[in-house]
Amino acid sequence: MDCRKILELFNSELVVVSVGSPAFAKAIEDQGYQAIQVDWIPPAGGDRQMQELLKIMGRLS
Amino acid sequence: MAVFTKIEKNRYVDSLETLSMTADLNSQEGVEIGFASMVKASLKSDLEKNGMLTKEIANLEESDFVIVARCFTREAFDNAVCEILKEDKKQEKDKKSIYQDIEDAVKAHPEANLCQINVPGEYALEETTKALNAGLHCCVFSNNVPLEDEKKMKELAMEKGLLCMGPDCGVANINGAALVLASINNRGPFGICGASGTGIQHVAAILHECGSGVSQAIGTGGNDLKEPVGGIMMKMGIDALEADPETKYIILISRRPADSVLQILLKKIKACTKPVVVFFMGCTPKQIEENGGIFAANLDDCAQKALSLIGKTYELESPEGIHEKAMYAARNLSPRQKYLRGMYTGGTYMDEAMVAMQEIVGPIWSNAPLSPEYKLAESYKSIGNTCVDYGEEEFTLGRPHPAIDPSVRKAEIMREASDEEVAVIVLDCILTPPGHMDPVGDMVSEIRNAKELALGKGRDLVFIASVLGTDADLQNKSAQIEKFKRAGVIVCKTNNEASLLAAEIIRLQKERS
Repeated sequence: MDCRKILELFNSELVVVSVGSPAFAKAIEDQGYQAIQVDWIPPAGGDRQMQELLKIMGRLS
Repeated sequence: MAVFTKIEKNRYVDSLETLSMTADLNSQEGVEIGFASMVKASLKSDLEKNGMLTKEIANLEESDFVIVARCFTREAFDNAVCEILKEDKKQEKDKKSIYQDIEDAVKAHPEANLCQINVPGEYALEETTKALNAGLHCCVFSNNVPLEDEKKMKELAMEKGLLCMGPDCGVANINGAALVLASINNRGPFGICGASGTGIQHVAAILHECGSGVSQAIGTGGNDLKEPVGGIMMKMGIDALEADPETKYIILISRRPADSVLQILLKKIKACTKPVVVFFMGCTPKQIEENGGIFAANLDDCAQKALSLIGKTYELESPEGIHEKAMYAARNLSPRQKYLRGMYTGGTYMDEAMVAMQEIVGPIWSNAPLSPEYKLAESYKSIGNTCVDYGEEEFTLGRPHPAIDPSVRKAEIMREASDEEVAVIVLDCILTPPGHMDPVGDMVSEIRNAKELALGKGRDLVFIASVLGTDADLQNKSAQIEKFKRAGVIVCKTNNEASLLAAEIIRLQKERS
């Protein structure tokens, strides 16, 4: 297997994008690493009916 | 008593936050029972069961957030809400540059190289695909991800040559950083790839304690070595650690892989030029050794075998030493006290404990037993020798996992202590950056109260514990151990040792009666 990208990660400064609970991004920052928070919300705010509708309209894969 | 509500239309609050808010809400004065949650069907059903489903809540959408509680007065509710939203408001204020999606974050920070994903399982594939397509390695903490989704994300990762640790990845250490629920470890020559989070953390913590450490620890998630996923990440992990110049030795940890996956992994192990220590629970020494691996019988043995490669040892108590300790610990127990109660924050340690204990005291009852005939009818009602995993669903519904908030065990310590046939209570404690900052300090008053309760009734009560973590952890392992000791708890070096000691005490009590 081609491991170049994984070895590149091992040799780089870790910069983490954190999706979901801010507690996990904070835990990374508390250790002195850079964390970038993505304020994730579910499509259509989690409304299942609306998600189905958006799917039908082709706006949600 | 009346039901009060606070509704925020179209506001999304992450499940970890709502769980923590719910736990906080229920500890507020004047609150009998309360929930802080997105308005899901499960919430409506819980509210209905508790006679708290108002017409207003019944009409809310899944995209709405609600705080609902049965309280003595409106004032008590308002105070409780104010208290639990304090932290929430503080976090809102602290928000620096926050992005709405992964693509925006990567555009603004092209230096980003790893994405940690903690979204509900049904959305994990979508977010992981976005992250992989943006060129990020992934660490997916989300659980309840369908196996076909896991396979899809790992196949995409493989195609792109990127790591996809998880789903359900509890532990990973990359470039020295503790991801998800890992401990903070020293760097060192050992590269770990494992399907058990606690297993990786256990071995890494012992390496740390002995002055060594890990180059990288890759968590694959518990389903990686099952047939449908085919061990994609374990295979990539082995290749990466074999190619990594900083990794001198490889450690592999898992429950027994599916047969077809095991055959592929054994071939990979055989092809490695670096020494490979293998703990695949349920595999024979012959299977591992025939393929050039170093066989480990359990987690302690795995760490010991790894350390022997660098000329170090990790001494554990001998059977004679455990017997002597047990004799001393049992000196004030009455002959009527003949059972142990294990209270665990997760399944790996509970399984390890039950395997060790049953050799000495026979079958162990549990909410997740080794054999189905020993399943407790009710998880809150122990029978004979019982171990309970407080990370199981019946305890985590509506509150954070005990690895993050261990307080779920507090009330249960008193329940077990009030049983006059109980001689020993065994506890585990796991340290991690997102976890409770003082997990032992949080429960010592219950331990002291339990001991006093027993003493008041003319009997002793033995507490045994082990702490998984390191002195580099934010909670500091030595400080946590010291707190246990000051509360009169016997602290063992490992979970297995704690289990053997507890079982030996019960064996001695049986001999006495």
